[in-house]
Amino acid sequence: MSRPRRSLLALTALALLLTACSAQEDRAEDPAAPEPGTLRVLASSELSDMTPVLEQVRKETGVRVRPTYTGTLDAVNLLAKGGADGKYDAVWLSSGAYLRLRPDAAGKVVSETPVMSSPVALGVKTSELGALGWTAGQVTWSQIEQAVRDGRLTYGMTDPARSNSGFATLISVASALSGAQSALTDADVAKAAPRLREFFEGQRLTSGSSGWLASAYARHADVDALLNYESVLKGIPGLTVIRPTDGVVTADYPLSSLASTDATTRTNVKRVTDALRTEAVQRLITARTHRRPVVPSVPPAAGLDTARRRELPFPGSRSVADGLLDAYENELRRPSRTVYVLDTSGSMEGERLNRLKDALADLTGDFRDREEVTLMPFGSDVKSVATHVVSPAAPEAGLAAIRADAAKLRAEGETAIYTSLEKAYDHLGTDRDVFTSIVLMTDGENTRGDDADDFDAFYQGLAGARRDIPVFTVLFGDSDRAELQHIAELTGGRLFDARQGSLDGAFEEIRGYQ
Amino acid sequence: MLLMTGVVVAVVASRSEGDKSTATKTVRMVIGSEKAEFFADPDVVKALAAKGYTVKAETSGSWAMEGLDLRGYDLALPSSQAPAAELAAKYKVRGALPRPFYSPLVVVAHRNAAGVLAAGGLATLDAAHRGTLKMAAYLDAARDDRTWQQLEGASKYGELTGTLYLSSTDPGTSSSGALYLAAASCVANGGKVVASDAEVERTAPLLHKLVSVQGAQQSSTDAAFRDFVSGAGNPLVLVYESQVASLLADGRQPDDLVVLYPDTTVNSDHTAVPLTENGSAVARLLSADPALRKLEIRHGFRPQGVAAGFASATTYLKQQLTGVRQAPVPTSAVLHELARRARGQRGTAHVR
Repeated sequence: MSRPRRSLLALTALALLLTACSAQEDRAEDPAAPEPGTLRVLASSELSDMTPVLEQVRKETGVRVRPTYTGTLDAVNLLAKGGADGKYDAVWLSSGAYLRLRPDAAGKVVSETPVMSSPVALGVKTSELGALGWTAGQVTWSQIEQAVRDGRLTYGMTDPARSNSGFATLISVASALSGAQSALTDADVAKAAPRLREFFEGQRLTSGSSGWLASAYARHADVDALLNYESVLKGIPGLTVIRPTDGVVTADYPLSSLASTDATTRTNVKRVTDALRTEAVQRLITARTHRRPVVPSVPPAAGLDTARRRELPFPGSRSVADGLLDAYENELRRPSRTVYVLDTSGSMEGERLNRLKDALADLTGDFRDREEVTLMPFGSDVKSVATHVVSPAAPEAGLAAIRADAAKLRAEGETAIYTSLEKAYDHLGTDRDVFTSIVLMTDGENTRGDDADDFDAFYQGLAGARRDIPVFTVLFGDSDRAELQHIAELTGGRLFDARQGSLDGAFEEIRGYQ
Repeated sequence: MLLMTGVVVAVVASRSEGDKSTATKTVRMVIGSEKAEFFADPDVVKALAAKGYTVKAETSGSWAMEGLDLRGYDLALPSSQAPAAELAAKYKVRGALPRPFYSPLVVVAHRNAAGVLAAGGLATLDAAHRGTLKMAAYLDAARDDRTWQQLEGASKYGELTGTLYLSSTDPGTSSSGALYLAAASCVANGGKVVASDAEVERTAPLLHKLVSVQGAQQSSTDAAFRDFVSGAGNPLVLVYESQVASLLADGRQPDDLVVLYPDTTVNSDHTAVPLTENGSAVARLLSADPALRKLEIRHGFRPQGVAAGFASATTYLKQQLTGVRQAPVPTSAVLHELARRARGQRGTAHVR
């Protein structure tokens, strides 16, 4: 709110193509190409678990669903700009609530048909329940808040700007903790800010996707809980799922046809929708995905508690929803601290270096208030270390400094990946109040300094908290996928492929993990 | 594209073979979502096929039909007269528009919620699963921002907290949301239909409250009802009686469902806008064909001019709509303006 910034939504659209590629690796085909008998569906990432169900639907209807996974906000923004016209045949989001706040996007949709439902819930390590003094089924948001405030509960959640589940979680938490009796208003959000800030101090993990959040949780023994959809939490071993008694926000996964499509396409969307709502398929859905059925004759799968919960209303205006998101990013959440380890060896000369400079300049439009960014360009060794903070009082100063540093980057020298990475770890402290991570971008293989074995040994020698710092690796130019995949797996990070998409897109997608 | 058409044709062909009928003419329709199950019912398909028609129906919010390109369609079937009249004007359809059947707006409630409303004087229950919602008392509660916590007996039920409100669909795009405003504005206007600028001014603040407390609204009654059935969402949801009747078909008796008839409500007059001769023919069949009329009743619609017999569901539904006042629906211009104001958009258009 404090400065004019490019909308989060506009920026995240950049990531869309990349998400599509990296989520379905090794798929060379163009997701935008129409194909007879196939529906091109812009879908929430969470729906990737529906593959076996969609296979069943294909058998019954002859219609194949080809999903392109994305975040709700990205999808809505794309629809609003007309970017889905002619490229997609249907939209399938976790919830249509945000879509309906944007008349320009809502106008692109003809009909929305809920297919299943899942509420936002808290998954707590079952072994911690006793210590917390909780009985599942009788826990309120206030109790959760109290446990966080007392330092007895830490949790992970996905990034609301990039993930459907994170956005729904943010709405749930804000509605519940604001004490609002009906749909949230700007005043409710402002009033609740101090409580929300305290609540988000308990957040230890952030993630651009539910899948990565689950694996990060498995690595971090000190994280007690996850906030996500019930369906996601039910799939993670060792968690007890709590739907707070004072209210939840529920996703109802409407499959929606688009006004830009022809009647034949819409008929096929309807046939898929009808098939999804048959008793047999509803049974399959609840058994396989832990979501709740929407036909009365099919009971929810065993283990899904059917006691009623209040439905917290979703904000009724875009300004409230976007304002809450903006407050979360810039004021409420713990800030991030990131070291960008950037390959500027001789092979980056020319087009590649220009792309890196452009990508970094673009990225400055997306840094949050209070964020600490360190640029660490390297060739034969680390060339320089420059740290900038985006101060809420004068954010533009920090951002301009980052852009100036980026513009000065020069390509020369060999490629000392591991030695530079070790220096990045050395640079970073283990401050609990920030999300700390490293981004490694390289266009080649390691040719100088420490090798992979040296780095493994270095990493194993790190003290506990520092070993929690993940490295997000960016595959670019001629870099070695196996090498970067190994670094990501070793450190609990994730590999992003900027060869299929763009460098901007990879950096942008990583924002969800910072 | 060719192959996809092939798939559809193949399905239709196999269906017709099974029915041993000679369906020849395909009628393309766009319909309100609450009629999707009716037209998908194999018996309805069969009854239409017996008359020589195969119907292909797509769903859309009734007011959203205005935004669709209906070239190539034979018939539009929105859920009330006002959007039908606008479509008729847009496509230059002359003559009276057939209204084959209707269905009143009702409130579906979970049992706990219905019980607390009755104890608080906002509703009366005349059967285990049926009652009446007192609209004037409800609107008073809405005016005062009454919460569930302020009603006696609500504290027993964790889900009954927060502001008490009826969930409706978006009045800007969906017929039932707009009809809710028609009923509420009539009650708020002392039982008179809202017609003048002054009356719009007077009722708009309350209507805005009824809508704004809900936050983001569903775009179709089908979606709102699905959420209710799946146990998610608000415990009080405005839907069409036909949707409830459809749910109760086959003798189902959902335990956690009470149907509250608002003492002032609005009927949804499902109105046909024939765009071609074939469309006209199907509209006529819906009004006159005895087999189709029987099926309309089975799906919970009330055919014009007949007392519907919902024999299987009398513990949930009223046989006759006695004691339920029909609010007159404002003109299309007024209703649009009320919807705009209810959604917090500033008034610009003058209705009179």
